[in-house]
Amino acid sequence: MGKMERFPFIVLVAGLLFFLFADFVSWALPIYVLKDIPMKKVSDLSAEAKAKNTSAWADFEWIARNYSEQFKKYYGDVNEESFAKALKVGHRWYVAEGCWNCHSQMVRPVSNETLRFGIQGVSNTVSYPSEFQNELQAPVLWGTKRVGPDLIREAAVHNIDWQVAHLYNPESTSPGSNMPRYPWYFEKDEKGNIVPNERGIGLLTYIMWLGSWEIKPTKEWALK
Amino acid sequence: MATNVATAGGEAQLTNLVNYTLVKLHVAMGLIFFIIVGLMGFLYSLQLDGIYPFPGIEFLSAGRVRMIHTAGAAYGFLVNMFTGLLYWAVPRFTGYKVFNEKYLGGFMFIGLQAAVLITVVAILFLGMADNVEWGETPWWLDPIIVAWLLLHGIQFGAPILKASQKAPLYVTGWYISAMLVWTPLVVFMGNFIPRFWSAGSGAGAVQSTFIHDLVGLYVTPVAWGLMYYFVPVIMKKPMWSHGLSLLGFWGLAFFYPLNGVHHFLWSPIPMFAQYSAVFATVAIEFAVTSVLINFMMTLRGSAEVLKYNVPLRYMYTGAIFYWITCFQCAFHVTLTFQKVIHFTDWVTGHAHLIMFGTFGMWVLGMAEYVWPRLFGKETMYSKGMSEGAYWLLTIGVIAMFVDLTAAGLVQGFDWIGLNPWIDSVNFSKPFWYFRSVAGIMMLTGLFMYAMNFYKTAVAGKGLEAQLRESA
Repeated sequence: MGKMERFPFIVLVAGLLFFLFADFVSWALPIYVLKDIPMKKVSDLSAEAKAKNTSAWADFEWIARNYSEQFKKYYGDVNEESFAKALKVGHRWYVAEGCWNCHSQMVRPVSNETLRFGIQGVSNTVSYPSEFQNELQAPVLWGTKRVGPDLIREAAVHNIDWQVAHLYNPESTSPGSNMPRYPWYFEKDEKGNIVPNERGIGLLTYIMWLGSWEIKPTKEWALK
Repeated sequence: MATNVATAGGEAQLTNLVNYTLVKLHVAMGLIFFIIVGLMGFLYSLQLDGIYPFPGIEFLSAGRVRMIHTAGAAYGFLVNMFTGLLYWAVPRFTGYKVFNEKYLGGFMFIGLQAAVLITVVAILFLGMADNVEWGETPWWLDPIIVAWLLLHGIQFGAPILKASQKAPLYVTGWYISAMLVWTPLVVFMGNFIPRFWSAGSGAGAVQSTFIHDLVGLYVTPVAWGLMYYFVPVIMKKPMWSHGLSLLGFWGLAFFYPLNGVHHFLWSPIPMFAQYSAVFATVAIEFAVTSVLINFMMTLRGSAEVLKYNVPLRYMYTGAIFYWITCFQCAFHVTLTFQKVIHFTDWVTGHAHLIMFGTFGMWVLGMAEYVWPRLFGKETMYSKGMSEGAYWLLTIGVIAMFVDLTAAGLVQGFDWIGLNPWIDSVNFSKPFWYFRSVAGIMMLTGLFMYAMNFYKTAVAGKGLEAQLRESA
């Protein structure tokens, strides 16, 4: 018994051995099990969006058309590079604003979540490992608390028009909402219209990208 | 073991062992940060109520304030408080000074405050946060925090190692020794592996392990270690059972690190990891119960002390909250309960009961025991403020816990019922209003407590203990 009360024994057995065993079971083994899922970089995501012409790509083009002045100024043309840049900027501010403190990004297979967070026949799948295996989910953005709804299928739920108005003033689209307003994602253009700025375009692109991979065929086609 | 200092004239030796300035500085900063993060939490709760006082101001955006609330509670409040109390307890139970008081101690103090302030500036003003819960510090600051923790390991490891070479360590020593190894590893793991060496579900598994390990392998061992030191010292009698102490420690050391993945049940993490986490979590509640039995049996025959001794009362109140939290956890960790309560305010209530109700109460009790002694006084300035703060904090945290638990059930069942989302917000509003009121109670208690601290520090001579209070 005496040995169990000595510094070296405690440090080696409790401090290192037990800790390493637990880490092996808790995450090293899961990472090993998931190792064959390809890890995507932002540039891969961007190339995929363009190649498959997903709803996120269509929404990006919509932003470029409607806010052409700001888009030209901050992102240039619609191409894979500018889309990747917008995703990165959007992700960075999504994290920085603590959006993930109130919005989860995970649809669980229980509690009717597939019914609530998907559109029947378009996207009603449970969250699966490969959709998170990319640079924008490192660290993962599952979140631990919902005040607002889950966002991992957001592209299938609201359109970009709604997102712009909602980000500027949530109560304009969702009466009774207690989400903060985010006016610093907008600026005034030459005519005095309130339009998204660099960060705003990024954030809108990022939000409309969430779940866009689940929408097949593209949204315009589905809605007609 | 400090048998050499327990003899006559020991008090003078003990005084020289402890660097009072470092204890004072860390405890005072910890208390200041406790109030600040409490205010931040209160501000965030006003956002939920829909009456946020600073709408549309970027650097006071509620989402950013919320990250200061959590990261500040970890690094500003708990690390400061614990470090201060370790400066008091470690030399006294080992009989040796810490590694280096003047240079390393001073550097560590300044380094910690700088790290917290940089975090605040980065999150509020620069928009640089890290989406790891409890690791919201920007990632480029994390190597500095790991380095700080390694220094912290040397500072407190040195006296423990010296004492261990002479005789077996006291319980406190086991917890602190293991914690000194665990903490840098945990912080490194949680902040770097999800960012640079994994993504998605793998990162989620690491992050959940990190969230739990920072609580389980830093906060809990330090807190229990200090409890095993302060409770027998205040009651002037040994712990009831040495065997149960061993059981509690090794139970914690083995099962706690396995618990993490229970934060992401029903997630895309492979199920074997989720099942093992549930199993380990239920198992650890037995270890927790053994520790609680040990403390309650130690109290047996001395329960009257709780009536007069506020620090001890803080500690036992916290211990009971700890057991409630763990008992609750054994149930809500199951996949069945998770269907309803995951993502709801139930979890928030649980987190507040453990962090404020248990660890907050413990450090407040310990600090209240240490503080007058640091200034050569026998009691706190005002017994009334002491009592007032205790009751405000206790009732406040119970109210918040019950309220958020109920809110969680309402939200969970409302979401399952597929009602419009805004319904769950509207149904939660009364609970959120009440939570803010509970927050005001807790903050008032904290202000009262801090005022008492200030008055004790600046009071002239004459704060002498009544015979009864020194029991």
